[in-house]
Amino acid sequence: MLLPILLAIQAIRGDRDLIERLQRRDPQALAELYDRFGRLVYSLILRVVRDTAIAEDLVQETFLRVWNRSQGLDAERGSVGPWLLAVARNRAIDYLRSAAGRERNAVEFEETDHPALFCDMEPDILRSDKTRRVRAAMEKLAPNYREVMHLAYFEGLSQSEMAKRMGQPLGTVKTWVRTALKSLRDELGVAVTS
Amino acid sequence: MNCNELREYYELFAIGVAEEPERSEIRAHLNRKCEVCMAGVKKALEMAAMVGSAADAAQPSSKLRQRILASAGVETRGFRWTPVWAMATALSLAGAVYFGIQARRDAGETQRIRAEMGLQNDEMRAQGAEITRLTEAFAILNGPDTKEAAFGGARPRPPRGKVFLNPTQGVLLIASNLPPAPLGKLYEMWVIPRGGRPVAAGMFQSQPDGSAMHVRRGAVDVESTNAVAVTVENQAGADQPTSEPLIVAAVPSGASPR
Repeated sequence: MLLPILLAIQAIRGDRDLIERLQRRDPQALAELYDRFGRLVYSLILRVVRDTAIAEDLVQETFLRVWNRSQGLDAERGSVGPWLLAVARNRAIDYLRSAAGRERNAVEFEETDHPALFCDMEPDILRSDKTRRVRAAMEKLAPNYREVMHLAYFEGLSQSEMAKRMGQPLGTVKTWVRTALKSLRDELGVAVTS
Repeated sequence: MNCNELREYYELFAIGVAEEPERSEIRAHLNRKCEVCMAGVKKALEMAAMVGSAADAAQPSSKLRQRILASAGVETRGFRWTPVWAMATALSLAGAVYFGIQARRDAGETQRIRAEMGLQNDEMRAQGAEITRLTEAFAILNGPDTKEAAFGGARPRPPRGKVFLNPTQGVLLIASNLPPAPLGKLYEMWVIPRGGRPVAAGMFQSQPDGSAMHVRRGAVDVESTNAVAVTVENQAGADQPTSEPLIVAAVPSGASPR
């Protein structure tokens, strides 16, 4: 019972210390950031772009962006991991959309680049046991729900683009997206709208 | 719309699929620091991060860490030379390769270049991230299907140089007379498709002597590329160019490779 609490406290302290050092431009902080999250960031980007060379370029851009924008993070309450992943996904989706000549959803991208939104998050959401739970929850989704989640999250398609890709009415796709999100939320016990 | 009406759209917003008017409404609430919406969107972003962390685990190359630290100006342990000296050597070698390629029809020159490259080989082994970059540059330069485009040749004031595009290896830019970007700024390269928007192709800095080499690895659709350009951007990079390009290398359409 005590172990999860101790791990959470450790994670909070670790984040706080790391953010402060990033903001002081401590070179070792960038190395530590990469050691903690590099593989996770690379895995996410690779899943989106499906090209190892491009993925590595985008991982580099992601870490440089975070290195140069860390002043915006709240050192006391900031959650550097989720922010890093959001920046990584944005870079990857942005690349995918640009390469395909698609318009960017600029509003969301700007928001998720904004570090102020990434604070007071659960300190251990990127722990491996949580990750396994998310994978299991995704696997449990019906194939059509899983597909809309994949198209939205890993390919950056809008709901209209998904409807076209899947050959389904827009209303149907919207329902599927909502249902998929609700199923995930229920499965993971994340109280998003409460 | 009030916060209660927007609640069901937080998750859609967080993963980028919210539509109008809800998207703009949520953004407006966030801009005015609406506590309810801030809390809701944060929770939604938390779940989005969890989904992102569930991507199948993959292992980047061992050189990536060093490359990232080097690009941020951080010297890594075990690296014997200063980054400046390493970069100078890398550029010197790249220059040798570049001018060697230009003159390779001349057999005597080719022999000389080969000799120079041979002398540099031992030094290259010691250079970690730089050797990777040079290997990439070699691969592009030597690719049989590499296409090249010059820039700056007709201008009284450079920068001038060439870009090389290889459909499977990527894009290489070699420039001279490119003064170092000012403090807080870097150069950003763009690959511009015909009829499309510029695609960011990485950031770089030039050397005090004005020389620069930049490699963007990965496949590139050479035939549909209209130009390669370089602009000055903030260090964090830009999604689209925010300044007039200093370099524009028009890629000839349909021309056969070198």
